[in-house]
Amino acid sequence: MSAWKLIRTYTILVYVFMFAPIAVVLLLAFNSSQFGGFPIEGFSLRWFYKLAENDAIVRAFKTSVTLGLMTALVSTTIGVLASLALVRYQFRGKDLVTTLLISPVLVPETVLAVGLLIFLRWLHMPRSFLLLLMGHSIVALPFVVLVVQARLVGIKKEYEEAARSLGASPVQTFFAVTLPLLMPAVFAGALFAFTISFDNITATIFWRPTGMETVPTQIFGMLRNSISPEINALGFVMIVVTVGVPLLAGGLARYFARKKT
Amino acid sequence: MKKMDSTKRYEILRERMGNGDVDRRTFVGLLGAAGITAGVSGGVMVGMAQEARAAGSTLNFEGWGGVVSEALRKNAFDPYEAATGNTVVDSTFGGETEVLTKIKAAGNTDGHNILHSSGVSWYQRWVDAGYGSELNEANIPNLANVMDAIIKPFRAITPNSLSAVPYDYGTTGIAYNTNYVSKEEAEALGANLLLKKELKGKIGGWADAANRAWYGALQSDQDPNNIQDWDAVWEKAREHRDLVLKYWNSGAELMDLLAKEEIYVTEAWSGRVAALQEQGHPIAYMDPKNGLAWMESMFVLKGSPMAEAEELLNFMLDPATSIAVAEGQKYPSSLDPNKVAMTDVIKALPAYDPTGTLQGLVFRDAVTWNPLEKEYTKAWNRVAKGG
Amino acid sequence: MRGSGPAIDTRPWLLLTPALLSIAALVVVPMSFILVYSFYENIDLAVDRVAFQFSNWRELLDDNYYHVAIWKTLRLSVIVTVLAAVLGYIPAYFIAMTKFRQRWLLLLLLILPFWVSFIIRTLSWIHILGNQGALNGLFQWLGLIDAPLSMMYSETTVIIGFLHVFLPYMILNVYVSLDGIDDNLEPAARTLGATPWQAFREVTLPLSLPGLAAGCLLVFVLTGGSYVTPLILGGPNDYLFGNLIHDAVVSELNWPMGATLSFTLLVLLGLVVVIYSRFMGLNQLSKAFR
Repeated sequence: MSAWKLIRTYTILVYVFMFAPIAVVLLLAFNSSQFGGFPIEGFSLRWFYKLAENDAIVRAFKTSVTLGLMTALVSTTIGVLASLALVRYQFRGKDLVTTLLISPVLVPETVLAVGLLIFLRWLHMPRSFLLLLMGHSIVALPFVVLVVQARLVGIKKEYEEAARSLGASPVQTFFAVTLPLLMPAVFAGALFAFTISFDNITATIFWRPTGMETVPTQIFGMLRNSISPEINALGFVMIVVTVGVPLLAGGLARYFARKKT
Repeated sequence: MKKMDSTKRYEILRERMGNGDVDRRTFVGLLGAAGITAGVSGGVMVGMAQEARAAGSTLNFEGWGGVVSEALRKNAFDPYEAATGNTVVDSTFGGETEVLTKIKAAGNTDGHNILHSSGVSWYQRWVDAGYGSELNEANIPNLANVMDAIIKPFRAITPNSLSAVPYDYGTTGIAYNTNYVSKEEAEALGANLLLKKELKGKIGGWADAANRAWYGALQSDQDPNNIQDWDAVWEKAREHRDLVLKYWNSGAELMDLLAKEEIYVTEAWSGRVAALQEQGHPIAYMDPKNGLAWMESMFVLKGSPMAEAEELLNFMLDPATSIAVAEGQKYPSSLDPNKVAMTDVIKALPAYDPTGTLQGLVFRDAVTWNPLEKEYTKAWNRVAKGG
Repeated sequence: MRGSGPAIDTRPWLLLTPALLSIAALVVVPMSFILVYSFYENIDLAVDRVAFQFSNWRELLDDNYYHVAIWKTLRLSVIVTVLAAVLGYIPAYFIAMTKFRQRWLLLLLLILPFWVSFIIRTLSWIHILGNQGALNGLFQWLGLIDAPLSMMYSETTVIIGFLHVFLPYMILNVYVSLDGIDDNLEPAARTLGATPWQAFREVTLPLSLPGLAAGCLLVFVLTGGSYVTPLILGGPNDYLFGNLIHDAVVSELNWPMGATLSFTLLVLLGLVVVIYSRFMGLNQLSKAFR
């Protein structure tokens, strides 16, 4: 099975490519000097201490996570419904609808941001958290639609028809058959949406109410003076939290499960 | 036949659902864990809470974040809030164009009060656009400590009253790596060091249009505040472009390029070079003849609560605050060194003027530069991209 | 299915209502405002005159500056898309087919780079390819080179930066459609005498095309609309149409021209989506006949 080995090696190389910059960020979080390149001159935890003292970035982190989770919820819900319509039904104007749904990524964000602000002025509404949430959801929508659609196309209609012929209602069919099969795509979509929101900078700058900072806007502001390795430390903490906690939870769950038997 | 087929498929399906279930739980766990760890339940919608909390007036301050923000928060905003019961909402911006874009789109200045504004050019632009305010200087006693020389250009634009108080100043000179360029050579060449062909691929530059035009004027031997031959300016900019590795856009990029020796010479902001020198990098700084000096002000936008803003400005101009900010961002304070004792750190900053007269520094003349800005920005954007 | 009679089926429109309403309020209406701006006249920085005239559109048609940028953008988008497809398909296949039980971990690892801010991630290539970057450090340590190689700030670094940011979209999209394929199909083809390569080409590849197409579309469109990556990783000659838009809106404060340019980009990228939509439609048709 040498072809499989080749595929595996190739995959590993791609992962190495994906992780090289992350590895660098993680390593440099422990570098003692500010503009340290390689070789690393000294090991230090000072950037972690500075990070812990930095209230602003901790607050921004909380805002970003909240916003990201809510964005994931909103855009995944809207996106799954829309994808169902696109894949499961034939109707006129489908090309136009698809293009509309994907349009948020076609419009340069700077311009979309300004256009929406002009609209708000017309409505006499101030910038708010809700605007930011809706804006992020719409920016994330195309990603959700594309990934869910691609998966739905692969789920044969016959499965649903089988359920219907066994007496399930359309809603029951959706929850018992379609949704479970769709789950990987729904989570991929939600993950995309969270990520898009968490990482968005251009539109966020324009839409946020004064005084609200997300992690990217906070970092963007800090760039005028210099890049502090605190940001690397923040990256380290985020990765440890997002990977470490679930791993730990999974490990504990397995441990207790084993104890029971 | 058909029926049996479907039933079988349904069975297969149930099996797969089981598999899918595992994935789902794991993913839910992942998302949930991430959410809980971040303390969603605790700190929802920080910005909104901040706005709701304000019992007194709220002043929105927008600046560059980082050390400046920390120093202001500790030395000015917190004491001010304690003394008055008002709230200062402090946020970062990416520059004044961003704020102007927002204000223009919204049609009003709601949510914006005080900006850390760059240069006399921006002062003039805000005033021309009708967003200037009228400060009552009697409410800002600390303004008396500010150098007369640094206030003068602002008064020239608005003779009756100020819309801003000058806060700090610096220069955009030339930084070079002393391992590759000698001091003698640098001083002999001046602005033309940036055009030295032997350094091709090791030269940088600031992407800013006004700055490129200024240096193009220096390199074509013109008075930068009275440019006659713009073609010559862009010719020099093109010559420079062909030698440049990278035009930088932020202080972070500038410092990284110099610190990692990607480039040996570039224009540079004095404060950033001071920060590099402090960390022991072999970077020297010089202001060539007619090198560009600039100042920053705290601009109060029209529609702000004026008495509150004036009081806050007074806190910000307090010598202790001003000096702490200056040490943090490494740009000298606008306070007159003859009236306020400066620390040794500040005295050692590049661009620092001990006389308090700013005689040796050349500022951009907003009157000649602003009307041309549309034209030269457009011209530079094309030259930068190979035009 | 029942109800596929001649009467207009309202169900798809019900499902589409939330999405289309949001799109209308948050994209269509704001962009209509922007469209109006493209006929205004910019007098000075941030000062526009209300008018109905075509000077901005004329400038776009006449000025070679914009044409070069469009060409550069299309070229780079194609390069990045093709490379992303080549680099991304095989890992997606591996994740979908592996017997490794912690498959979710492989997927999570893909998303992981996104948790580190985009700006920092992009800047970190300087730590790898720069003069004092990891690669130069390694080469010097191995004695392969004496002086650091200059690798930064070129088109290559811009492409690397794009690939790094967009590859996960490609892989996840391909994976999702590969994962939806019946596991028994490829073995079935094998028992009918197909070689592994034939089985893949005849069965798996066609079935994964929707995902590949979605991935390609996303990467193409996202590259075409970017401006930050070339700004950070590129040299003076590396720019995209998005940079011109950003320059017009943010540095020149010329909304009318910015609006004109945005619409141009919107139309160009919109054409790509229409092509994609047609292709997906055909793909579904061919499935129905299988």
